[in-house]
Amino acid sequence: MSQGPISRSIADKSSEVNWDDYLKSYYEKPQSGRTWSGYELKEIYTPEDRAGENYKQDVGDAGDYPFTRGIHRNMFRGRFWTRREVVGIGSPADTHQRAAFCFEQGGSGLNTIADVTYEMGLDPDHPWAQQEVGLTGVNISSIKDMEILVGDIPLDKVSWSLITASTAAAPTMAQYVAVAQQKGYDIAGLRGSIQNDPVHFRYCGFRPACPLDLSIKLGCDVMEFCARSMPKWHYTTVNTYDLREQGITAPQEVAFGFGIAMCYVDELIRRGLNIDEFAPRFAFYVSCHVDFFEEIAKIRAARRIWARLMKEKYGAKDPRSMQFRFAVHTAGCSLIPQQPLNNIVRIAYQALAAVLGGVQSLHCCSYDEPMCLPTEKGHVQALRTQQILAYETGVTNVADPLGGSYFIESLTDKIEEEAQKVMQEVEEVGGMEEAIRSEWLDRRFELEAVKRQKEVDNGEKLIVGVNIFTSEAETCTPLGVQRIAEQSARRQIQDVIELKRTRDKARLNEAIERLREDVLQGKNSIPAMIEATKASATTAELLGTVREVYGYQYDPMGIIESPFR
Amino acid sequence: MGTEKIKVIVSKVGLDGHDRGAKVVASLLKEGGMEVVYLGMYQTPESIIKAAIDEDADVIGLSYLSGEHLVYTPKIVEEMKKNGMDDVLLVVGGSFPPEDIEVMKQMGVDEVFRGGSRIPSIVNYITENVR
Repeated sequence: MSQGPISRSIADKSSEVNWDDYLKSYYEKPQSGRTWSGYELKEIYTPEDRAGENYKQDVGDAGDYPFTRGIHRNMFRGRFWTRREVVGIGSPADTHQRAAFCFEQGGSGLNTIADVTYEMGLDPDHPWAQQEVGLTGVNISSIKDMEILVGDIPLDKVSWSLITASTAAAPTMAQYVAVAQQKGYDIAGLRGSIQNDPVHFRYCGFRPACPLDLSIKLGCDVMEFCARSMPKWHYTTVNTYDLREQGITAPQEVAFGFGIAMCYVDELIRRGLNIDEFAPRFAFYVSCHVDFFEEIAKIRAARRIWARLMKEKYGAKDPRSMQFRFAVHTAGCSLIPQQPLNNIVRIAYQALAAVLGGVQSLHCCSYDEPMCLPTEKGHVQALRTQQILAYETGVTNVADPLGGSYFIESLTDKIEEEAQKVMQEVEEVGGMEEAIRSEWLDRRFELEAVKRQKEVDNGEKLIVGVNIFTSEAETCTPLGVQRIAEQSARRQIQDVIELKRTRDKARLNEAIERLREDVLQGKNSIPAMIEATKASATTAELLGTVREVYGYQYDPMGIIESPFR
Repeated sequence: MGTEKIKVIVSKVGLDGHDRGAKVVASLLKEGGMEVVYLGMYQTPESIIKAAIDEDADVIGLSYLSGEHLVYTPKIVEEMKKNGMDDVLLVVGGSFPPEDIEVMKQMGVDEVFRGGSRIPSIVNYITENVR
């Protein structure tokens, strides 16, 4: 047990200044030489640590297999990373307004996130939804909502990241395509991504909406549809970020994330797709936590592991299939409400790690996330953090600037080795699907989360404002608080009730019947979902219909009966 | 209290699925010597009150992360009043603006712990204040 640092509370003014503490502070040194994930480091790395390295085979230049140093030879000289701030707030109109605002402030990609009701597949008029519509994102229940969200944004000119992760990603994709087609766009030209990772989303509280078989079915329906019809679209961003937020380590993030990714890859191959037909648009959504070098090494290791998996396990031939392309979300769980402006600094370090790691698209958290949804000021500040990085610091000049560092290369090897051990563990419990079914993965998450809390409680991990340099609790949020207008939620509820009353029921019933038939016959559900969306079917109706075919209750919460029976 | 263990209900309310904090708190309160009934997700004010009565709990601990704390807290307080549960301690944890801490206390919450709280501080608070 470490002694811990010299414990100082800024709030404690009761005693006289203790000059001995100042002397101790002068000689103070870091209490451990371990990474965040717990790996002991040496005090210096030298050429000896790299004696066995085969550069071409194990590292390679940026743009060359195994892509350890990046997926493009010129990296940011070719194009900046996409500066994309997540927006989801109140109604589709509120969300459109904030997204457009972020665009005006210099954001280079749109990024909208679903609320809990939408992710759960509930329409706003559902008894469980009424209290929570729009609290943490946007609820899209129909084509009308998607039309409002899109508004005047030219879909052929923007890159839009749709964050719906659960099985509701299938309706989201259908709604986006339906609106694009109605507006006359060729969907083959649409650029952007959809999160569409329902398997992982059971660990984010959406288990009722994400049974395992249905998660793989609908997830892969979206992937297959997009791979065939929307060649510029990233049809999934497998979310290792959310897994990391459970408290796991950096190598576990990579290993569990890849385990889930392979659930989809295996299914797409079972469906008869060739790996090179779809893998070039496979993408990830990765955390960047607070241990600077470990996160950079994690990203580099992930690129190498993915490249080898695709080539050696799946026989990919197209180099693009082997490229690990990813967005980063800075680590929400590293942010705290104590001394909240410090979060700006944490986020900036994490963003820097992401960029030095060769990120394709970045969301910086807002400093106020441990208190509320981002305020407008919080959003702008987060975007400015990215812009300072991109335009002022010079980090865009050279690809993989840390490559070749004895330390970084050694740590990359270490994370790779540890991630492979975890992947082996998953194999030993029978593969990822079995690890999920048997709740082995749940137990791992719980174990790790408790460990992380104990590390903070006993001072093994230091957090300024939590267990060192603490101060009196804040009574207000520095740049104000984001609230959700009550009328936004009420309007959403009224709108969906009105839609259900006034739509063409015969056309709707026919479209729902086709969806049911297609799913029964094992066809891809997305074309029928698009048609049903155009016939004003709602999110809950699309999902409920598919759920029933799979033997689940129409309503994930088990209250509402299907209106189509 | 004698030697009987303090009994705590730990629960989420509504649809919010951020349960890492609630699970960690439940697990570490157990290690701190308390008896914990973890209700998990998708609870309603009514289901939480029913569990607290059935279990004869000393403490109800609620965990919020998605801005739903001002929606559900008054409903839970009202249910507690209706059922004459003055002797049950109501503790809230999670993510919310500091501005809302006093608001929740005004509503009838006994104590509020923000993210970044250390678990021993929660154990101590409960031990010293349980009725």
